[in-house]
Amino acid sequence: MPTRRHFIKLGSTGVAGVLASQSFVPRTDAANPSHYPVVAVAPLKDVGPGAAIVFAYPDAGSPAVLLRLAEAATNGVGPARDIVAFSTLCTHKGCPVAFKPERKMFICPCHWSTFDPAKAGALIIGQASQQLPQIELRVNNGVVEAVGVSGLIYGRHTNLV
Amino acid sequence: MPLPPTEAQRFDTVCQFCIVGCGYKVFKWPVGRDGGPEPDRNALRADYTKPLPPLGDWISTAMHTTVTDRDGRQYNVVITPDKACVVNEGLSSVRGGGQAPTLFSPERPTKARLAKPLLSRAGQHVPVTWDAAVDLGARVVKAVIDRWGPDAVGMKFFDHGGGGGGFEANWAVGRFFFSGVGTKTASIHNRPAYNSEVHAAGDAGVAALTNAYADAELADTIVLVGSNAYETQTNYFLVHMVPNLNGSTLERKRAILGTESVAPGRIIIVDPRRTMTVATAEAAGTPDRALHLQIEPGADIALLNAISRVILDRRWHDVGFIRDHTEWQTFEAYQRSTLAVDRPLADVVNEAAKIAGIPAAQIYKAAEWVGAPKADGSRRRTLLHYEKGLIWGLKNYENIAAIVDLALLTGNVGKPGTGCSRMGGHQEGYVRPAYPGGRPALNVDEAVRRGEVKAYWIGGCNPVLTTLNAEAMEAAFKERGAPVQAVLDRTEGRPVGERVARIVDALKQGGMFIIAQDIYMTATTRLAHLVLPAAQWGETNLTSINGERRLRLYQRFMDPPGEALPDWEIMARFARRIRALYLDDNNPLMANRFLDFDWRTEEDVFIHARYQFKGDGSDPIEGYAGVTYDLLRRLGTNGIQTPTRIVNGVPVGTVRMHERGRFQTPSGKARFIPAPQPWPGYAAKVAAQRAQYPFWVNNGRTNHIWQTLYHHQHVPFYNDHNPMPHLEIHPADASKLGVSSGDLVELTNDVGRVRAMAIITDSVKRGHTFMLFGQPRGAAGELVSDHVDPTTTIPYYKGAWAAIRRIGPQPEIAKIVSFLPQNVAR
Repeated sequence: MPTRRHFIKLGSTGVAGVLASQSFVPRTDAANPSHYPVVAVAPLKDVGPGAAIVFAYPDAGSPAVLLRLAEAATNGVGPARDIVAFSTLCTHKGCPVAFKPERKMFICPCHWSTFDPAKAGALIIGQASQQLPQIELRVNNGVVEAVGVSGLIYGRHTNLV
Repeated sequence: MPLPPTEAQRFDTVCQFCIVGCGYKVFKWPVGRDGGPEPDRNALRADYTKPLPPLGDWISTAMHTTVTDRDGRQYNVVITPDKACVVNEGLSSVRGGGQAPTLFSPERPTKARLAKPLLSRAGQHVPVTWDAAVDLGARVVKAVIDRWGPDAVGMKFFDHGGGGGGFEANWAVGRFFFSGVGTKTASIHNRPAYNSEVHAAGDAGVAALTNAYADAELADTIVLVGSNAYETQTNYFLVHMVPNLNGSTLERKRAILGTESVAPGRIIIVDPRRTMTVATAEAAGTPDRALHLQIEPGADIALLNAISRVILDRRWHDVGFIRDHTEWQTFEAYQRSTLAVDRPLADVVNEAAKIAGIPAAQIYKAAEWVGAPKADGSRRRTLLHYEKGLIWGLKNYENIAAIVDLALLTGNVGKPGTGCSRMGGHQEGYVRPAYPGGRPALNVDEAVRRGEVKAYWIGGCNPVLTTLNAEAMEAAFKERGAPVQAVLDRTEGRPVGERVARIVDALKQGGMFIIAQDIYMTATTRLAHLVLPAAQWGETNLTSINGERRLRLYQRFMDPPGEALPDWEIMARFARRIRALYLDDNNPLMANRFLDFDWRTEEDVFIHARYQFKGDGSDPIEGYAGVTYDLLRRLGTNGIQTPTRIVNGVPVGTVRMHERGRFQTPSGKARFIPAPQPWPGYAAKVAAQRAQYPFWVNNGRTNHIWQTLYHHQHVPFYNDHNPMPHLEIHPADASKLGVSSGDLVELTNDVGRVRAMAIITDSVKRGHTFMLFGQPRGAAGELVSDHVDPTTTIPYYKGAWAAIRRIGPQPEIAKIVSFLPQNVAR
């Protein structure tokens, strides 16, 4: 039974962010035939260098962050393919992970799993057995939208509850 | 993610991987009969209707798979950490949390599993029946014994616990080769001979595993020498050491230790690299309570002895303990020769500082942290741990002696919060009849190269990949195996007696018949004439102990592939056939050496081995007198700590060794092991290599993958993290060589050459590098010379020096591998 043994340092997420306006009405259109909702995260012009925008996807119970990295990234969108987004629940035991821009990685304060946002959320080192779920993005009419999730989000047996 | 229904089958098991042996629960249910998210509709009784809070019973995708049993039925299997296990308290490591994909499946890459016995023929391996394989192999082994004597039969087998080992397998293997064949030409999976990795501890009378994991929660100071615990003994570090470092165990310390001064723990990490262990230790506590001694290769003996000398000079040693529980003459010898009491303290410390590359002030500080009395004058409780950095270090015997002596000097054995123990790599599970050879044990690698081994049987290890001077071993296998292969090809279809006679002719000409027993094809099995498919963890019941001697039953929950058999049963079949052949020969003396291999179940083997143990306090640490599978089933993932003693007819466990101050020597007192001098220096062969080549090639394990990736090469999450052997190299060195992270580099020295992927990191010092030891695409053993410690026949695996050059970029690999630092905690 995890009690005092498990030091949970749930401090600030360390992410300088702007809570994006969100639309949770699931849209079905030809470009998105899956069951995942389409959620507008931010206008592309608002995603400047070093941006880190907190949002929730695919529902309010699933915290996520949109990042604009310094270089092109796996599955990145935008003209420089450097915009990515991830679930911020560690896939080890679900503590919130913090993006450290100076380290270019997510670091979990609980057992120090670290994830690389430029490499599809790959575990750099740590105790998760699954990479950090990547939020699939697209740019639609100048808006960065979240359209799906790759990988199972912590705490769920299915991403869409 | 399918959820296990309430009626799912449940099994208790322990992780197949590292020494810590975290407890796991296995759920198995037919495909299509899933449970539901409501608590009363799933076997975990968890509420999955809404997302779990942190630290919940989350089943990640890495914990689930499907398997097909021999009857063709398909099942879901979930392997999830057990909250009720005191070892891991529901935590998984990166490895343990992903065991599901390592299970055999005919639809996934693990279909590569060996499923039938194979005989090599014209460059391929073709299936044969078990009867044919056993008959041929038994006849050859018997012919070798009859013609050349038992020592011409060589073996290299696992001797550990957990996956690929266990008490049952070890007993069967030992009975076959020691009671049956009676050969001295035996060796252990990771070294050339049959010996302990810690002879010096045994000679001192100190057990290899002395403490309970709970002692790490109580210690004032934890010392790790040559152990990267975050990565390689993960949940011992996270669940038991980190809470001490961050002050969470203060209440517990007060409750158990009474009015003694207590404080959040300190940690000393002796490691040539600034590892993730150093980074997380600093982050867990405060940086001023973590001391990283970034040591030069081979200097541990000098460092440990200097620390001991400081403690002695300051009068911090445990006078009462030494007087009552150690042999006095050994203490005197130790002071004179190891601690050089005739020389001024400053000289000894400064010399050690120079050899170790560590400032003298840090040596004095370490001595305080280990031995200085606490604020209230009570003795400091120090828990001393070591692993391969010391075991495979400069001189195995004196390395271990130095740390054991320090523990005895300070009385840090047998009390709460203290101990002197291996951290461990594999789990343990050793029980065998006595090895018929002596000490130092015969170097089997060399015997093979000299042509003295006529039949060589390898089980559950891959020496062609991982042994020292690996190229020479591979060459020996090929050269000596070829004449036997030619005979097999020429005599195809002939009666087996004739085939064996022609094989013996080839053996007379220097050939070697090779049998390999494993779960996958490997570099070693590819060169074997007879390949035997083994069952693995989860496919057979097995028992083992972890780093705190916790004995558990690892329950069988699925069928092995095809005709694969558990190791104990393979040995039994061969033994019974050899016995029958000797009876046919009218040789009852030899036949009777192969009696009592009629076990029907794993528990039969377990009980047979149990007769070795008396349960009266005289057993080795593995002793499990009085224990049955039934008892272990009832004790679940918490098991019982060995050695057990029978008290009123019931087995009672041992939490901590040496609690009554009794040690495993004839006198019952511990012995200091004096060294001839404070530091032996480099052996000539090693010194020559060191002088000739610029880079030290340290090597070892890494967090993400287990051993030689025999499973992990088949699972993308693991394989893609380490698709190649990697080499950690300092930025300044990389710059001089023109190397970027991801580049292919080649290392060469007088022993061999190997290629690896460069990773630039400041974890290593300039002039030092670190390589993953046994990646199938290139092993550090290619560079390690055949020098061994003459006292113990243990190699200096950590002692290779090489030249490095850049080959070129690897853009495809660079796309998927992250080169961000792996020693960052904040």
